[in-house]
Amino acid sequence: MGKRITVDPVTRIEGHLKIDVEIENGKVKDAWSSGTMARGIELLLRGKDPRDASYVTSRICGVCYSVHQLCSAYALDDAFGAKVPTGGTLLRNLVMGAEYIYDHMLHFYHLTALDYLDVMAIANYKGDDKELLAVKDKIVGLVKSNDTYPLTPRYKPDEYCVNDPDTVITAVKHYIDALAMQAKARNMGAIFGGRQPHYQSIVVGGLTQYPDINQVLQFKTMLDEQAKFVEEVYIPDVMAFGTGPLFPLAKMGLGGGHYNYLSYGALKTNPPKNDLLFPAGVIIDMDPANLRVKPFEAAKITESVKHAWYKDSKPLHPAKGVTEYDLDKENGYSFVKAPRYEGHSMEVGPLARMLIKKDPALIDLVKKGAKPGAVARHAARAIETKQVIDACYKWIDQLLTEMTKPGFKIHDSENWEIPDAGEGAGFYEPPRGALGHWIEIEDKKIKNYQAVVPSTWNASPRCDKDVRGQYEESLIGAPVPDPDNPINVVRIIRSFDPCLACAIHLIDPQSNEVKKFIVE
Amino acid sequence: MKSGLNKQDGGSENASSVRTVILGIGNELLSDEGIGVHIVKELNTMDVPPEIEIYEGGTDGFGLLNIIIDADRLIVIDSLRGGSEPGTIYKFDIEDAPSSPDLFKTSVHQIGILEVINLSSLIGKTPKTTVIGVEPKSISTGMELSQQIKEKIPRVIEIIFEELNLKAAIDT
Repeated sequence: MGKRITVDPVTRIEGHLKIDVEIENGKVKDAWSSGTMARGIELLLRGKDPRDASYVTSRICGVCYSVHQLCSAYALDDAFGAKVPTGGTLLRNLVMGAEYIYDHMLHFYHLTALDYLDVMAIANYKGDDKELLAVKDKIVGLVKSNDTYPLTPRYKPDEYCVNDPDTVITAVKHYIDALAMQAKARNMGAIFGGRQPHYQSIVVGGLTQYPDINQVLQFKTMLDEQAKFVEEVYIPDVMAFGTGPLFPLAKMGLGGGHYNYLSYGALKTNPPKNDLLFPAGVIIDMDPANLRVKPFEAAKITESVKHAWYKDSKPLHPAKGVTEYDLDKENGYSFVKAPRYEGHSMEVGPLARMLIKKDPALIDLVKKGAKPGAVARHAARAIETKQVIDACYKWIDQLLTEMTKPGFKIHDSENWEIPDAGEGAGFYEPPRGALGHWIEIEDKKIKNYQAVVPSTWNASPRCDKDVRGQYEESLIGAPVPDPDNPINVVRIIRSFDPCLACAIHLIDPQSNEVKKFIVE
Repeated sequence: MKSGLNKQDGGSENASSVRTVILGIGNELLSDEGIGVHIVKELNTMDVPPEIEIYEGGTDGFGLLNIIIDADRLIVIDSLRGGSEPGTIYKFDIEDAPSSPDLFKTSVHQIGILEVINLSSLIGKTPKTTVIGVEPKSISTGMELSQQIKEKIPRVIEIIFEELNLKAAIDT
């Protein structure tokens, strides 16, 4: 039996996640991924007006609100028989485009980059670049005042961490620049979403707020600034790290997993035509030399609860899913259910999307010896951010044309009334991967609602056949020479950009000193 | 009669060039955890001076930076677990609660509002920030506040107004 260590919570992810790994001979021998928070949001929706689903599900997660709002709207469109007009689809796409730009850059710079940098090397910067010297002063100042968040806490740098002062200080400058860029990106979604966070304008059938030309141009100006940063800073950084200092990690395939990939497909490039920016598809047991993509069939999804804290049942399709807790279960170790596709444990997200799309830039990296894994995930994210930006420009042009047409519409008002009964499914590809919402309506009320979020796929526990989830499998064999410093474990987990429904956030101080702040 | 608020004579800190933001934090699907959002919704029904910006921040973490970075004065309303009786109201200035050393380590979520405020110093200024917290009774799934917590809303609003030197002139 190897030594078992626990990483809880995995910091700098968005949500609540615990990873246990068993280490033998300096390598991960076995792993368990646990979502430590019950959501149960589905229960809250029962008996409600179906049109409320977009409002409520937008609050499942504080970070990915637009994602749930949109996916819920697609599920409702399906159940109501609503046909979103082209203008509505374009606006929804632009809202999601802003989400992608925000999310992917934030992930690279602010949630994961510090796993690959020896930040303290900044102190050794000897150059005379004024901007970089300002960064040095800032960071050294933080260290002196003993307040080094967000640069700490962290794991000890290992041999893969970049410690060349010039590279590190440039990367940290980009970290700071990206902080300002993500704040600006957050404003973009609000232009068509009505406000931020928790957009208001997205409803069944389309959107409620007609754009004016100034808003479209404002969005475009903000997109220009993001596009410049993505092309001149974000993509070069990811590629320089991925093909340079991190290439050994890419070559060893750190964080590979099952090599099964799934994309539901999303974002019509030229609505109302059905061509998708991210095509749907399935890859089982990938062979890089012969990439075979099968069509996605929604009926093949099931969820197992054998190892999750829910009452036992045979694996069910999510549309028929039940949310009944069983906290005393002997086999249970997670609140996350185990979704499977035709019984397989799948990876969802940027890497899955780019492999299923057979994206030439990513395939090229794979051919150069970068095995699909942690480093390839970062590359896939950067590649698709650029694709989303290019698509946003096309959507803006198309929207401007649509707006000049008589009878320009963004909402299907003919199908706003709630059907007496019906079922609907929404499939979407937000930044973190395949997202599905399922709704069942009876007597004009919600009878059942289920959401399978991207991190449910990736962070799933073992299933009814005891096959590991993708996080778990991706950890097997990872080098952990020092059990007190499991930096490769967090590198792998963070490469998926975990988000486990970060629904609780309350300030929870660690000290009794808070008592002195009582007002009454 | 119209409900409303008036600035105190002698001027408040809300001169036109000063940007004041009230930010209600929390998840309204988790009962008392959403107290900040409920208070902001209440404020939106009142006649607050238009130069004061009011936001429902939800639990957006990093995504709230755009709201925070340009503010001069920031009031954060949140649920706060300090171990006292449910309904206890806390108030402190951000500089009394540094986010990284011991006192205010956020353990339940990774990127808390205090960390985000702290991060704002890296790209601009950190607003003068006061946090007003309410000890929750229940944070289980549900969209209603506990009665005990709901009753605290008027008092929390009074404290916000005191903090911003605004005189409440709410007609009964």
